Amino acid sequence: MRRSVALALTAIAAVLVALALGACGGSDDDNSSTGSTGESASTGSATSEAKSFEGQKVTFWIMNNGPHPVEDTEKILEPFEQETGIDVDVQLVGWDVQFDRIRNAAVSGEGPDVTQAGTTQVPFFAALGGFEDLSSRVEDIGGESAYAPGIWGTSQVAGQDGVWGIPWFTEARTIYYRSDALEEAGVDPATAFTDLESMRATLEALKDVKEIGGKKIMPFGMPGKKAFDLVHNVMPFVWDEGGQELTDDNTKSAINSPEAVRGVKYIADLFPEGLADPSMLERDGTQVENQFKGGRLAVWIGGPWVLSSIDREDDTNWSDAARENTGVAPMPKGPTGEANTFVGGSNLMMFKSSDVKDAAWELIKYLSQDDVQTEYAELLGMFPARLQPQEALGQQNEDLAAFYEAIQTGRSYAPIPQWGQIENAYKTRFGNILDAAAGLGGEKYSEAVIQSQLDEAAKEADALLAQSAG
Amino acid sequence: MASIDTVTTSSGPAVPPDPPAQAGRARPRRGHGWRRDRFAYALIAPAVLFMVAIHLLPTLGGGVLAFKNLNTFTFSQLFGAPWAGLRNFEAILFDDANPLHNGFLNAAGNTAVYTVVTVAGVLIGGLLIALLLNREFPGQRIVRTLMLAPWVVPSFVVAVLWGFMWQSDVGIVNKVLVDYTGLLDDRPVWLLGPNSLWAIIIPSIWRGLPFCMLIFLAGLQAVPKELHEAAAIDGAGPIRRFFYITLPLLRPLIAVQLLIQVIYAAYQFTIPWIMLGTNPGEHADLLMTLIVRQSFSNNLFGFGAAASVIVMLAMSLWVVVWLAAFRRDLETQR
Repeated sequence: MRRSVALALTAIAAVLVALALGACGGSDDDNSSTGSTGESASTGSATSEAKSFEGQKVTFWIMNNGPHPVEDTEKILEPFEQETGIDVDVQLVGWDVQFDRIRNAAVSGEGPDVTQAGTTQVPFFAALGGFEDLSSRVEDIGGESAYAPGIWGTSQVAGQDGVWGIPWFTEARTIYYRSDALEEAGVDPATAFTDLESMRATLEALKDVKEIGGKKIMPFGMPGKKAFDLVHNVMPFVWDEGGQELTDDNTKSAINSPEAVRGVKYIADLFPEGLADPSMLERDGTQVENQFKGGRLAVWIGGPWVLSSIDREDDTNWSDAARENTGVAPMPKGPTGEANTFVGGSNLMMFKSSDVKDAAWELIKYLSQDDVQTEYAELLGMFPARLQPQEALGQQNEDLAAFYEAIQTGRSYAPIPQWGQIENAYKTRFGNILDAAAGLGGEKYSEAVIQSQLDEAAKEADALLAQSAG
Repeated sequence: MASIDTVTTSSGPAVPPDPPAQAGRARPRRGHGWRRDRFAYALIAPAVLFMVAIHLLPTLGGGVLAFKNLNTFTFSQLFGAPWAGLRNFEAILFDDANPLHNGFLNAAGNTAVYTVVTVAGVLIGGLLIALLLNREFPGQRIVRTLMLAPWVVPSFVVAVLWGFMWQSDVGIVNKVLVDYTGLLDDRPVWLLGPNSLWAIIIPSIWRGLPFCMLIFLAGLQAVPKELHEAAAIDGAGPIRRFFYITLPLLRPLIAVQLLIQVIYAAYQFTIPWIMLGTNPGEHADLLMTLIVRQSFSNNLFGFGAAASVIVMLAMSLWVVVWLAAFRRDLETQR
């Protein structure tokens, strides 16, 4: 009996050792391969002028952009592949898993050559050390001056030199409204949302429009903590009051400042006053979007892809009334006189472990051409990331002009590696505040609740900011 | 999941009538055990290797990470990250200034309530339905088959379906409670606030019940009819017969169910995650959703690993308590 136990233990130990050795061997291989590719890339770029890319393969990860992500991207890349001879392998990585997969690829050194990444994720990925600094190459595409400042900022990491992600396409949040509802309420769309006060007055007036065409309609609706982008919808109001997400030096949270409390209170107050539909807080972002499309909300905050879906017959979420009467206005101005909105989108990042870096850069360069940007953004219902094609699109009509304006003044968050985590902490607290405001939380809603929730958010954020490598 | 499987198999012999006797017969001579059983060892070797590779090693790896300072900045070093000693555990269990501490206590409390209510619901409900279905009535087979339906539905689908059913304005639950029957005047909101814990408990019971019922039904059918008949002749009513005959005979089955269901409930993840999102909120955040969120969304892998170790220890403690409470029941089977 004892002998068999000993044998079993020996067997287990043998397996453990074998596996441990295997794991070490694996990581050795990784190190040596990244080392050698680093060399070949540097020698490669020295002779890149006359280099032919014929037969080189670039693997490119994209996320679910628009209704047909892979087909659309492949279509855009056809001329590029013919011209350069580079074979681009477009692979779809869903938004639900992209964070894990890109992070793991960056750490393990086994991944694609180029990947799409959300603008607010760039600093975190860059901090992992698995991505190429593109600053020596960006002059090829016009560098900083070719982009709006808020957008170029998303390529950077605070307190660090380097360009880590090239802006690919852009989105900004604006006000969507139902012109028929506004008309019935007797409000002029041109002045309905100029500042925070007029926006509230508009919503008050809309309260009397109880239904349109026999269908119940609420003045305003927004998703709660189930929406991944809750913070994008709340922060503009904080910025409007002069608040900030972090202090200027990014070392402390500023989300519990009096300005930030005022900003959050503005949006939360809409619930107890009956201006915002509490049942929307149960839904996620897409579900609330469909509620607006279905005609149950008169005012809603959304991105440009919704505008482009109005003409799509196959988007059956739209009710006829909403399809015909949807208008877009820039976000309201706050007491500071600025109209703030969140500007986001996606950037392109190049992996350090890529052994075809020059070809990978050719791909990024191609995707940064003005006409390619315009064509691709149009397929997605997004905005191009570059200034010139943005301008051209903004001149097409009034609704697009609203988005163009939003993008020019749009803001993103502090470009620090911990931002994603801080955003999660803020999202939880904003969600709690909205729940309380709608009478659904454990606490009774008051300004003290907002303050205490934001104090907690700040405490969490400070703990996250204090993280270190030590 | 894997840990549940191992527990199931280790407690497996308690279920059939007389396994200890059989096991005794299997190894009469101890001297040449290894040589005699070589073939058997060879047969189980692949399974052992597999378990070591996919179960034991990751568990040990997680145990190591629990003592590392693994965060956004050190993530790329993984096992090479700096040691943190017991700091992760200290922060979770005792450090009031650390936000993770409150989150953990809150999730532990929710998980405790969730586990107690869900397991009680599943066991009591399962037993009641098994008693009903144990009677002869027309259509008995069809009803039994239908009762098993929720068990076949994957947890993911359960969560998606109930997520729609709970919606306060258009969901079927409020339609029934408010619009059709008028039982309630106001439409309760299920997916937010204090009700959200019930929004995950009820579907969990709904899904766990059939399996439990199946086991009890099998147990009930093994209860000799003569016992009931004899007791009835002696004048015992149905309720006394239930408490003095049926329940004692079912004790081993109850014990096994209790063990499995508690561990399963304490490790519940799918239903809150799918129904309520990556952050179910303070009223419905369970330990598993907290750990996954902090680890994979917030890169606090050191925290996640330490919290997992704590949960694992708590579950081990539960197994010890369970063994102490039911050991005699399981042995008297002989």
